[in-house]
Formats: sequence, structure tokens, C-alpha cells
Amino acid sequence: MKKTLLIIFSLMFITSASNAQIINKEPLSQRITGYRIDAKLDPVKKTVTGSMDAFWVNKTADTVNDIQLHLYMNAFRSSKSTFYMGSYQVKDTTIYGRIDISSFTLADGTDLIPLIQYIRPDDGNPNDSTVVKIILPEAAEPGDTVSITVNFMVKLPGKIRRTGYNDDYFFVGQWFPKFGVYEPAGMRYRAAGGWNCHQFHPNSEFYANHSVYDVILTVPDEYIVGSGGMLISEADCGDDNSYKTLTYRAEDIVDFAWTAWPGYAVFTDQWRHVKITLLLPEDRKEQVARQFTAVKNTLEYLTGNVGTYPWPHLTFVDPPAKGSGASGMEYTTIFTSMSSYKMPGFIHFPEMVTVHEFGHAYFMGILATNEFEDPWMDEGINSFWEARIMDHYWGENSGMIDHPLFKMADKTSARSSYVYSPNRQVVSNKENSWNYPLGTYSMMSYMKTSTWLYTLMGIIGEETTNDVFREYYKRWAFKHPAPKDFIDVVNDVVKKNYGDKFGPDINWFFDETLYGTGICDYKVAAFNNIRQDTAKVRKNEADTLLRIKPSTDSLYKCSVGLDRLGEVMLPVEVLIHFSDGHETLSNWDGKDRFKKIEVLSNSEIQWVKIDPEYKIRMDVNFINNSLTYEPDRVPVKRITNKFISFLQFFVSSVTL
Amino acid sequence: MKIFKALAAGFYRTLKAWKGILLIWFGSLLTVSLVAIPMKGFLKSALGGSMITEKLRDGIDFEVFGDLGSGFRNLIASFPSGLLLLVLLGILLNAFLSGGIFDTLKGSSPKFTGNDFFKACAKNFWSFLVISLIISAILSVLFILLFILPIALVAQSDSGSESAPYITAVISFALFFFVSLIFILTADYARAWQAANDKSACFSAIGYGFSRTFSKFLSSFPTMLILVAVQMLFTFLVFAIMGRWTPDTGGGVFLLFIISQIAFYTKSGLKVWRYGSVTSLKEINDLMKEEVAPPVSQNFQA
Repeated sequence: MKKTLLIIFSLMFITSASNAQIINKEPLSQRITGYRIDAKLDPVKKTVTGSMDAFWVNKTADTVNDIQLHLYMNAFRSSKSTFYMGSYQVKDTTIYGRIDISSFTLADGTDLIPLIQYIRPDDGNPNDSTVVKIILPEAAEPGDTVSITVNFMVKLPGKIRRTGYNDDYFFVGQWFPKFGVYEPAGMRYRAAGGWNCHQFHPNSEFYANHSVYDVILTVPDEYIVGSGGMLISEADCGDDNSYKTLTYRAEDIVDFAWTAWPGYAVFTDQWRHVKITLLLPEDRKEQVARQFTAVKNTLEYLTGNVGTYPWPHLTFVDPPAKGSGASGMEYTTIFTSMSSYKMPGFIHFPEMVTVHEFGHAYFMGILATNEFEDPWMDEGINSFWEARIMDHYWGENSGMIDHPLFKMADKTSARSSYVYSPNRQVVSNKENSWNYPLGTYSMMSYMKTSTWLYTLMGIIGEETTNDVFREYYKRWAFKHPAPKDFIDVVNDVVKKNYGDKFGPDINWFFDETLYGTGICDYKVAAFNNIRQDTAKVRKNEADTLLRIKPSTDSLYKCSVGLDRLGEVMLPVEVLIHFSDGHETLSNWDGKDRFKKIEVLSNSEIQWVKIDPEYKIRMDVNFINNSLTYEPDRVPVKRITNKFISFLQFFVSSVTL
Repeated sequence: MKIFKALAAGFYRTLKAWKGILLIWFGSLLTVSLVAIPMKGFLKSALGGSMITEKLRDGIDFEVFGDLGSGFRNLIASFPSGLLLLVLLGILLNAFLSGGIFDTLKGSSPKFTGNDFFKACAKNFWSFLVISLIISAILSVLFILLFILPIALVAQSDSGSESAPYITAVISFALFFFVSLIFILTADYARAWQAANDKSACFSAIGYGFSRTFSKFLSSFPTMLILVAVQMLFTFLVFAIMGRWTPDTGGGVFLLFIISQIAFYTKSGLKVWRYGSVTSLKEINDLMKEEVAPPVSQNFQA
């Protein structure tokens, strides 16, 4: 009887979770997985105790023998876990975290605990227990649903690394047993069907199906809670009056995270259909307006240029100093920003973090790429949009810093990180996130990608770039696109907008930038003007290079030498300016190591520029992109003068 | 009343010492040129015939400096040591030239002559250097104790308040500022005393400085506060204006150079005004003391 009831309840949950709509009228995703979690926070023991009913539907044509789940919290269980081995070690073992499973059954009550195997698909580290595999007693046939019930206890880690606690502050993410993604053959780069369920690495994020979440959280009364769900109800806890119970519903998101802290001040705002909630420390009230502005600008820009934000709710958190380890992280409908008390208005850092983390609602949340394997697809694409949004709303040259004495664009910040890096050529963008050599993950995933996307935009134009992303959203929203899927979209849209202008496809661009390790560097090597015997040249009027005005006698044979110093070959424009004011703009496919342009003109060349509008932002040195024999030294003199004054005042002020 | 008398006398004496201030200005320009001219040479050579300087027309462009590559990184890396070297040179130069300046600022000083000025510079150099080093060392320790330490302690205390470190920083800095004025005053009194004495006795001078600072605190401290506040305000204004001024012609840049150097000359003048006012204050107080009772120690005579 008990078994029958369990099956009935489980079926009721699956049916309600996969079909019932509370937030949106229609399901946005396939809803391959769903979770119902009832959890209680113990702020003294720093634990979350919960029971979970979850399902996975086999929507493939494969017969699947096993299920695989992430136990992310076990990354904090041992100093020898893959997570801790790859980052700094926490010596105080009392603040280690873990997840303990006390029961694990199928809906029919079959005990799965004896069947649990810890697997280490990425590095074989025997001390890592962040992934479990369970051979099912009966294989899941196409269309079957595997329903599980798990009772667990999470001991939160005491040093917050995205998730954990500090004193009375809690940010709880990646906290429950979570299904991996079963990928059938043909999906992404799969040759044969199988689970994609990676270990927890310090340099990687996550990958999950869009799911439905019904979460009941029980927390002490004084705690203020924010989550990625929509609050359905709030009530006093029946057993204990000092606790309250909050019921949340979230639909079609890839993770359910939440935070609890008694010190939060709560603010709300509205952007069209979206109710925005901001939680931040009382002391930071002066940051509220700028934070809401950042979110609303992002919503407006991404809605216009990519696609709709489909949920009516959004929560974001600006954690207090003690919770700073949770800052700058994204969970689709909840994300964390980063600011501080009295952050000056000219530093747009809080806005930048907010724009970036909210941008992940699209590039990871809606377009749910595999962050383990293709980090450039979420971090890189998102950094590109972050820079565009920042520079669009906060100033083309002042997206990051806007001070009368110093300005910096967001796109400059990204490019400079890439250009500056001594490791910019050691690896390409196609690496798994945990395989990036030390110190290159952020530079490659975020900065290089953002820079080559800007370069792509420089080649295909801003409107076509927006068309690419609109199409990408249209085709891949609430699915799991792979790099090839994004490239296919680019090829199709570029073909549609430009025909064969860039060749049969634009794969060459991705071969050079995404899959290559070379650098791009074009240089104007030299130019010269040799005065000609006019009469002799006039005899050769069939020469197509002859550009002479009949009214003038001066004639110059002008030569320009262009070098390709880097390995990357990209088409560039070449602008030649003559002393009589006229200019010629030509295109160079950028393939040869050396290119000579010869022109007959009745005036001398004054200067030459490759890529005059700095569209090819992959170019690691803009300085050698132009050449004149009469350079403007005024700025250097001015900078030197100001530097002299600064030093004089400084030395005078620090001496008695 | 004594304060305004000292300020007025200091101002008048500063005007008389304009040639000495000119030497300070020139010495400073020469010193910083040791760092600035190689930097200019590097920029000129690194930018070569590039037209990227277009991007520098409106001010500093981070992207351009980034593209200068490893040369620029090396330049930035060597900047702190270059700055330290400049500060050390500045201390030496200040110890030397202020010897002549304090001598010029004495009430009994005859008309400014280069010969007398440099003679006084040489005579006072070692004692002024020791005074400067001792007081600078005290100020450095105070900076750590009164400013850095409280902020570090509050930041580590995990009080939960976001504003506490900020408020602590403001209060700590204010405290350091006011306490540092006392030591600057001590240094100025000590140097004024040393300039008035033939024998080199830097420790007696510092002793005198402390004694006079605290015994005449009510007149000395407000005088110093006014003088330092004026200097700070002036420096702030200069940077606010110069920072925003981005001339884009050779003539404009030359004008910027002239005006910024005039500004620095004025800043040096304000510093000399401080020296002059403290010297005057010392003389006023010494005179009042003599009127009350004959001096006890020969060393403390003006």
C-alpha cells in the first residue's frame, strides 16, 4: 500500500511539475528534469537538511541503463577533492562542506544506495566524490520516467566559494543532488548517447537541463530570503514558531539557488513584465538606484537585440562584505552582483558585474550551453554583450571608468586583458574549462572571446551581429547549443545578409580565432613617394594605376608596404591619405605576409592606416596599424608636461 | 592677532625670498626631469610614426598604453623605484635649499644674495637633513599607527557594518592629518631655530621645535592649519584644472607647461610662506619671552 501511494504521489508530482503552469502560460523547455525539495536551514549547525523528489524523463530514442547525478557539495568534503586540489587549500577542516545521503530510492521504494558508485570522469581522482552513477534496476526505455526520492543533509562550507556560509550569512547554490544531462547521439558532439556529468572543478561552472522547481524552505523567522523562484506562500512553521516556511516555484531554469541573511534590505522595481527584487546590506542603500538602472538597461538591450526575458520575476543580491565569496555569480533568475559601501559613481564596477551576471540569464540560462566544456559560450559571449551594454549606456569611451581625468571603455578592459597576457597563445578557446593552463581560463574564456566577437562584429557589422544573436536565440532558446550550432547560425545569417561576400561560409574566421592560438597583428611597414617624369608616365595611360589630374604636372609613384606579423589572417581595410586631401580605401584579404600597394598620384602620401576604425580588435598592436612621417607629438608632450607637474607637486608635498 | 601678524610677516618675507623660490622651482624641475625625460623619450620612440596619438587627444587612453607592450610594462614596473629615488632626491634637495630659504626668511636677514643663500644652504644642510629624516620617519610610523592599523583592525573585526571601515578611514586620516601638523610645525620651528644659530645642533633644534610647538600651541597650531589648508586647496585646484585641460596644439601644450610651472612656483611659494610664518611666529614669541624674562639658555636665542 505504501509503495502504491509513493508511486501515486510521484506520478502526481511529475505530472504537475512537467505540465502545470504557475509562472508562464506555456512550458518554455522540454522539462526533462524536475525537482520538489523540502529543506530546512539550521543556522547554528550550518546545515541544510532536505528531502527531494526528482524525475528524469528519457526523451531520447536510447535505452538508458543508468542515471548520473552531481553531488557538488562534496567538492568541499576533502582537501584532496578535485576542487580543492585545483585551488587554494582550506586548512581548517571544521569548515569543510559535504552532502550526506541518508536515503535514495526509486518512486517504488527500491533502495538505490547499494547501487551508488562514485565516478570521476574527468581526472580519475579517487578522492573526488562529486559525481555518482547508479545502474538502474530496470533500464529506462524511451519515454520512461525515472523518479527518485532522496533524503540528504548538506553541511555548508565555511569559506564561501560561490556557495557556503560566513557567520550568519548563507548563500546556497549547487546544494542538492542534481541530474547530469543525458545527451543522445548527435546532440552537441556526441557520437553515441551518454551522460554528461562532470566533476566540480574550481575553474568550471555547470551544465543542467531546464527544470521545474518546487522548493519549500524553512528558515528562522528573522532571516530574509531571496531565491531564483517566485514566492508562492509564506507561513509560520507549524512545529516551531521561531521558523517560517517559504514556498517557491521556478520554471525552466537550470539551477535553484537561494540566500538567507537577517541583514538584507529588500527593494523592488518593475521593468515591463518583470518584477525585480534587490537584496543588499542596509549600508549600501545609496547603490540601489544604480543597481536597478543596470538591470533595466540590460533587460532593454538584450530584449531588443537578442530575445525576450521570459520570466516575470528576477532577484539579485549584492552580498555584504562577509558574503563576498558569493559575489559575481549567476543562477538565471537569481544572480549576485558586487559593490561596496560608498563606491564612487565614476567607477562602474557594480554596474558591470550586474550587467554581466544578469546577462548570463541569456547566455547560460536560456541558451544553456555546457559551461564545463565550452566556457567561451557563456562567459565569452556574455562578456561581449556586457561590454556592448556598458559602453552603450555608460559611454562609448567610459563604460568602465568615467572620471574627467581618466576614462576607460569596457571593451578596452577586455581587449587589454587579452593583449597584455603573456599566455595569450598557449591554448585555444576550445579547451574544457578545467584544462586551461594556470592563469589562462579567464583571459581565454572571457577576454579573448569577447575580443574576437568584437572583431567578428567589425567584419560583419553591428546589425548583422544582432541578427546572428536573434537567430541564435530563436533556434536554441531552452536547448543546449554547442559551438558548431553557434557557428552554423553565424554562417546562415551572414550568408543571408551578405551572400558570398565572405566566401561560402565564415568558418575561416572561427578557425583563426576560436580554434586557433595565433595572434593577429598587421603593420604599416613603410611608404614612399617618388617623383616621376610626368611625360614618360603619360605615355602609359592604359595603366590602370594611373591617377593623374591633367591640370597638374606633379606625379608621384607612391608605394605602401604592409606586413602581417601574426598568424591570424583576417580581411582588413587600408586607408591611404594624400597631401592634397584625397583618400583611398581598399580591402586587403590579409593573407600574405607582405603586401605592396603601388599608386600613381599627383600628390604624395601623407599617412597610411590599416583598419582605420579599429574594427579588428583581435589585432594585438594598434600602434603599428598606422604610419606617418609627421607624427603628432602634441599628446606625448602634454602627457609629459602633466607627468612633470604631478611629480613636482608630489615630491614637494611629501618633503618637509 | 599673533597668528595674523605671523601670517602677514611670513607672506611679506616670502615675497622677499622670490629668488630662493625660483631656485626651489628650478631644482625641482631638474630633479623630476631625470624621470620624465626618459619617459618622454620612451613614448616618442615606442609610438614612432604611428597615428595612434589621435586617441590620446582627449587624454589618457588605456588601450594605447596597453599596446605599448612589454616596454610599457617595464616602465610601469620601474615607476615605484623611480618615485622612491625622486623622493630621496627631493628630501636632499629640500634639506639643502630650505637651509638657504630659512636663512633668507629671518627678520634680521639682509637683501637676498646668491652668495649668502648658498652659504646658508651649505651651513644648514646636515642638520636640516637630520631634522627632515627624523620627522619624516616619525610621520611614516604615525601613518601606519594612526591610519593603516585602525582600518586593518576594523576590516578584520568582522563587525558586520559596511560603513565602519569607511568611517574609521575618514576619522583615522583626520587624526593623522592633525597629528602630522604638530610634527611639521616641530620641523619648521627646529629649522627656524637652526637657521638663527651659527652652531649646527640638530637635536637641540628638534628639542626646541617640540618645546615651542607645545608651549605656543594655541597660536602655532592654527597658523599651521591655515597654511597647510591653503596649500592643499591650491594643489587640489591646480590638479582639478590641469587634469581637465587637454590642449591639442603645440602652443597650447607650451602654455600648459608655463602655467603648470607657475602653479608649481606658487605652490613652492606657499610652502615658503609656511616657513616664513613659523619663523615670524618664533621671532614674535622669542621677543615676548625676552620682554618677560632674559633668556636662560644661549642656545635658544633667536
